[in-house]
Amino acid sequence: MFSIIKAAVGGLTALCRVNGHQQGLLHGHLKVLASGLKTHDIPPDYSEVMLPDRRKLKFVKKMPDFKNAKKEMKNLKDIQGPATAANAFTKGEFAIVAMGGGYLHWGHIEMIRLTINRKMDPKTTFARWRVNGPYKPVTRKGLGMRMGGGKGAIDQYVTPVRYGRFIVEVGGKVELGEIQRIMTEVAQKLPFKAEVFSRASLAAFQKRHADMEQNNQNPWTFKEITLGNMLGIRKVLSPKDLCHNGRFAGKFHLPWRV
Amino acid sequence: MAATLCRILLPKQGWLPFTQCVRHGSKSVTRHKRPLHFLKQKLMSVTRYIPPPRPVPLGAYPRKTSRDQEDDPFTILIKKKLKSVLQESKMIAVVQNSGSTGDEMVLLKYKLLKHGITVKFFPNQVVRSFLKDSTYSNMAPLFIGHTVLFISKEPKVKEMLSSLRTSRHMLLLGAFIDNTLLSAQGVVSYSKLPSVAVVQGELVSGLTLLTSQTAAMLQRHPAQLSALLQQHVKQQSSEGAPKAEEAT
Repeated sequence: MFSIIKAAVGGLTALCRVNGHQQGLLHGHLKVLASGLKTHDIPPDYSEVMLPDRRKLKFVKKMPDFKNAKKEMKNLKDIQGPATAANAFTKGEFAIVAMGGGYLHWGHIEMIRLTINRKMDPKTTFARWRVNGPYKPVTRKGLGMRMGGGKGAIDQYVTPVRYGRFIVEVGGKVELGEIQRIMTEVAQKLPFKAEVFSRASLAAFQKRHADMEQNNQNPWTFKEITLGNMLGIRKVLSPKDLCHNGRFAGKFHLPWRV
Repeated sequence: MAATLCRILLPKQGWLPFTQCVRHGSKSVTRHKRPLHFLKQKLMSVTRYIPPPRPVPLGAYPRKTSRDQEDDPFTILIKKKLKSVLQESKMIAVVQNSGSTGDEMVLLKYKLLKHGITVKFFPNQVVRSFLKDSTYSNMAPLFIGHTVLFISKEPKVKEMLSSLRTSRHMLLLGAFIDNTLLSAQGVVSYSKLPSVAVVQGELVSGLTLLTSQTAAMLQRHPAQLSALLQQHVKQQSSEGAPKAEEAT
C-alpha cells in the first residue's frame, strides 16, 4: 500500500522538480491521493485584538454591604419584558444571552465563575461579567410557619435578569468553536433559557425577527387590535401587553410571536 | 383584570381614594405559563405569524448541492498544472492502480521514464471538474477510482503496453492519443498499426506498381522481351478471330 504522505506535500514535490526525472524517481511514488480534497480556511488574524490585564471573571459577593438591610417588595416586573440595559456587545466577541426572565442567585454566579475560569485559557481569552452581583433581597418564612405574623426575614439576595440581557461576555484570540462548548455548558445550567451568541449570530437572530415582522402575511397585528381596543379586548389584557405586543407572557418570551 | 383596577395612581402625596380595592388578583409573572383567557387565546391565534407563501413547495425539487462553490487556491494550482500537462503531451493514458507497492511503482516509473513517459497523480475530483469545463469532457468517465496518468510527448504505446503487461496491479482504462479518445482495445490495435514510414512506403509502392513492373521488364534480356511481345500479338490476334466469328 501507499505510504501515508499528504497530497499537498506530493503536489509541492511535483512543483519542485527542478533536477529533472531523478528527484521524481525517488519521491514521486510515495503519494496517497484521497478521493476528495480537504481544504483549510485561512485562520483569522488576531493581531489587533487587545487582551485586558485581568482576564478571568472576578469574584462576586453573596450580598451587598448593608448596615441595615431593608426588606423589599417582590416587584416581579423586574423579570418581565425585554432587557434595555446590557443587551449589546461591548468588548467581547461571544456572550451568553438570556432568552427568558429569571433570578440569578449567588450559587448560579459562582457556578458561572468557576466553570469559565477553570475551562478558559487566560493567555488567549478574557471574560467579563455583564450582570451585577445579587442586590435584591428575597425573604422567606421559616419552614412550617403559618400564614401571618409579618413578612419573613431576608433569606438571600438575587439579581433579576430580563430577556435579552447578557450574562457573561467572552473575547480574545479565540474562535466560536473553541469557546462554545464551555459557554453552552454554563448556559444550560442557568435558571432561565440562555443561548450562546457571537456578534454575527446575534445580528442574524435580530434580523430574522425583523424579517418576520416585515414579511408577515397576516393583515391583523396584535398591536393594531390592542391599540384600538377592538372588541374591548383590553378587558382581558394587561397594560404590559400594550408594550410587549403579545411577545411575552410573564417572564417567558414567545419566539413564535411576531 | 382585577389587578388593573387596584393600580390607582396617587397624584399627590398623602391623598387617599374614597374607595380602596381589597381584591388582589393573581400574579402575572409566574413560574408556569399562566392559562390565557379564552378571548386572549383567540386574539393570539388571529394575530399569529403567517409566513410568505413558498414559490415551490417543499420537496418538489432536490436540494441544491454545493457544486457552485468557488475553487480554493490549491485546486486552482492543480488545474493549471493539469492544463499545461494536457496541452503539452500527445499521449495521455489513464491507468487504474489497484494497490501496487512503492517498489513496484519505482520500477514501473523507471521503465517508463526510459521511453520518455512520465507518471502523474491528480485528484479525481479536481480532474473531473476541470474536464467538465474543457474540450476533453468525454474523458471524464475514465477518472473513477484510483487512477494514475501516463503522459508522454510521443505516443510510445508499445513500450507502455509491455511495461503494463508485466505489472500486476496496473490496468489500462483508456487513452487520449493524437486527439482521439481510445478504449483499452483501441490502444492495443493502435499499437499493432505499422509506423508512418512503413505505411507511406506501401502507398508509394502501390501507386508505382505498373511503372516499376514495366521498368523491370525492359531491364531483362531483349530475347525474352521479343518472345513476350510475340506472345502478346498472338493472343491479340486469337482474341480478334473468335470475336469476328462471334460477330458473324
